[in-house]
Amino acid sequence: MKRLDRLSLGGLACLLVLVVFALGSLAGAGGDPDAIVGPRLRPPGPGWWLGTDNLGRSMLPRVMEGVGTTLLLSSIAVLVTAAVSATFGIIAGYRGGYLNELVMRLVEVLYSFPAIVLAILVAAVLGPGQVAALASIVLATIPLMTRLVRAAAVAVSQRDYVTSAVISGARLPRVLGRHVLPNVAGTIAVQGTYALSVGIAVEGGLSFLGFGVQPPQASLGVLIQRGGTYMIAAPWLILGPGVVLVVAILAINVVGDGLRDQLEPRETRSLT
Amino acid sequence: MRPIRLACGVAAALLATACAATGTTTQPSTGPQAEVEPGYLAVADDALPSGGTLNLQVHIDSGAATGYDPQLADVATTWQLLSLAYETLVTVGPDFSVQPLLAEKWETPSPTEYVFHLREDVSFSNGRKMTADDVVGSFERLLASKSVWRGQLGAVKSVTKDGDHTVKVTLKEPYTPFLAALANVPAAVLPMKEINDKSVDPATTLLGTGPYVVKDHRQDVSWTFKRNEKYWAKGKPAADTLNITIAPEEAARVAALQNGSAALATLGNVDSAGMLAGAGDVKVVTQATTDFYYLMLNTKAPASKFADPKVRQAIAIALDQRQIADIALGGKGEPSAVTPAGLPGACDPAALPSASKGIDDAKRLLAEAGAQNLTFTLSIYSTQPAPAVAQVIQQNLQQAGITVKIEQMDEAGWSGKVYGKAPAEFDAALSWFAGYADPGMVTKWWNPEEAGFNVGFMTPDKELNALIDAAGKEPAGAAREKALAAVCAKADADAQMIPLVTRPATVAFRTDALSPSLYSTEGYGNVLRLVADARVKKSQ
Repeated sequence: MKRLDRLSLGGLACLLVLVVFALGSLAGAGGDPDAIVGPRLRPPGPGWWLGTDNLGRSMLPRVMEGVGTTLLLSSIAVLVTAAVSATFGIIAGYRGGYLNELVMRLVEVLYSFPAIVLAILVAAVLGPGQVAALASIVLATIPLMTRLVRAAAVAVSQRDYVTSAVISGARLPRVLGRHVLPNVAGTIAVQGTYALSVGIAVEGGLSFLGFGVQPPQASLGVLIQRGGTYMIAAPWLILGPGVVLVVAILAINVVGDGLRDQLEPRETRSLT
Repeated sequence: MRPIRLACGVAAALLATACAATGTTTQPSTGPQAEVEPGYLAVADDALPSGGTLNLQVHIDSGAATGYDPQLADVATTWQLLSLAYETLVTVGPDFSVQPLLAEKWETPSPTEYVFHLREDVSFSNGRKMTADDVVGSFERLLASKSVWRGQLGAVKSVTKDGDHTVKVTLKEPYTPFLAALANVPAAVLPMKEINDKSVDPATTLLGTGPYVVKDHRQDVSWTFKRNEKYWAKGKPAADTLNITIAPEEAARVAALQNGSAALATLGNVDSAGMLAGAGDVKVVTQATTDFYYLMLNTKAPASKFADPKVRQAIAIALDQRQIADIALGGKGEPSAVTPAGLPGACDPAALPSASKGIDDAKRLLAEAGAQNLTFTLSIYSTQPAPAVAQVIQQNLQQAGITVKIEQMDEAGWSGKVYGKAPAEFDAALSWFAGYADPGMVTKWWNPEEAGFNVGFMTPDKELNALIDAAGKEPAGAAREKALAAVCAKADADAQMIPLVTRPATVAFRTDALSPSLYSTEGYGNVLRLVADARVKKSQ
């Protein structure tokens, strides 16, 4: 198996740092993200290395908490998306016919909504909060992943080893689980990294609009939303979470590219 | 090397920001706002010509659920919009004194009698002259309605006319806030002839004596007002047209000010002055208001967490009003008791029983009530600075071991949750009251049987209600201050609605486009009170 290239390894290292950052927040490193520790709107300095916000809270623990919230939400959402898309994509691709038409049309309906509009609709129904954010990310990322998995499943279903399994009497679950799923797993993994970056962006957008996580919990979206209001008077409020968000999305996409190179070597890389 | 370069770039950017920001700390700006004249933050330049279009932006439209009937309007944002088309017998000056408006003068032959002499040159915007019948009819309609404002008028015995331009109101008992209660939009003079013959429905049509008439309204989008050509005050309104855009996002209103598409906007962020510091032609002013935030603790919910007064008193003790004012409101608010801080005769919040106790007392009360691990949800709307106030409350109560979960929603959803059901299902909620111009007026809302809107979450307290009524009867002076102090102390102990801090009103306007008049203080949540005076320098 080919090793990931240096750029992808760098992206992976960035992601690991962010995960450590988030775990550090859980362990209390950096301080209490909700505690009022000093004067309001102070620039970076001793005691508050990333400055303080409009409520006198240190931005460092808030950015750390925000990274954890955003990564956790996005990761859970992508796992749900992967499970749903794999199930319906494989069944639609393998069985074809009316089932394929039904799944594809449903997916196209979802696909026709811009992600953020869909997210606002979900938040309006479920009420603002983490559940709404989670559901929004899932609904925003399901269409593309389902279509790609279904396309991969169509190709795999026509392979000789699948036909042999069917002729030898293998039941449907076994055919799908043992012969189709492993051969579309690469597509799911690659698409998962893309969905992760979409999830972060959707969470950010949703929190920016006030439908995401609720105060005082921090997410990168919440921090950027509040920081944007103070961009002129207190630029440090948006710089920290903004840089982290850029790094996170960049790293995830770079890792995704590396995975694609490994799993689909004939494809052309877009970032080299 | 690229990742290293990227990391260096990020580090350099962070360092540059830190260095650039050093010394530019945004501190809470405390103290009174600079006045251009006693009582005024801005005075319109009469030398400028009249006419032109004035573009305004506000964050929320009127509450269409109750229509546009001024007597049924129950929120300050609606009063503000309706005040452009409707007027009252009296108004308030910059020092909260009652001033003539549609009544050019009045007499008080006895503490229960008020005789109003109406202006003879006043017409409704349809051209019909206003008469005493309209005033009497408006009173009778208001008293017979379900208006929340009905209780603010006191016990009215009769309203009679003496000729076409004199109206006499007789009360059953003395009621000191009576004139101040007449100064608000729900007490506006309506076109009763048209309402009685059903040619006008005030729920859908605005027909008043005010400086403007509605030309167009798109709910939650915009209002367009044209000058009332029949308006009685010579030379007013100065601007021919008012375009009011509803822009819920604060950033949109700030951008509109910066790019000149709005000449004036109301802002929610207490740090707006700092954020607009770079916009040379934009001036940001902060009105001190008698409005104040308060915390509602629902005692009527099934298995309410606040049924025991000790729990509510513990919360009142644990709240740090000064910190809420300094942190959440950037130093622009003031701690308040149930009588609004800033009004003559109001109680001193530092003298309240809860203010003399500490966190240990709060913990002891919680222990006595068996509520050591109290956890509750605080429902708030997302408009700033309510979320900031809620988060400081959360930090305050954490000191007493109370866990607060904040539930943030849009204003319509919040209103439905808090006022939509009886008994209400929320735990606690945050809102604000207009503080009006008399310290006894807002205390009326502590009697749910009279207020009505809080009957779903507040249990009446007979002793408190009696004290509120007694304070209303006392004439201004030392005896009334003593009576109001008793109301404050009792409301503090009752603690079903806990007063927090006054709510500053931030207004920004473009000095190259507008010369407005603005009071330094406001009691009815009406930033647009003097909009008829505003002179347009250039229309956008």
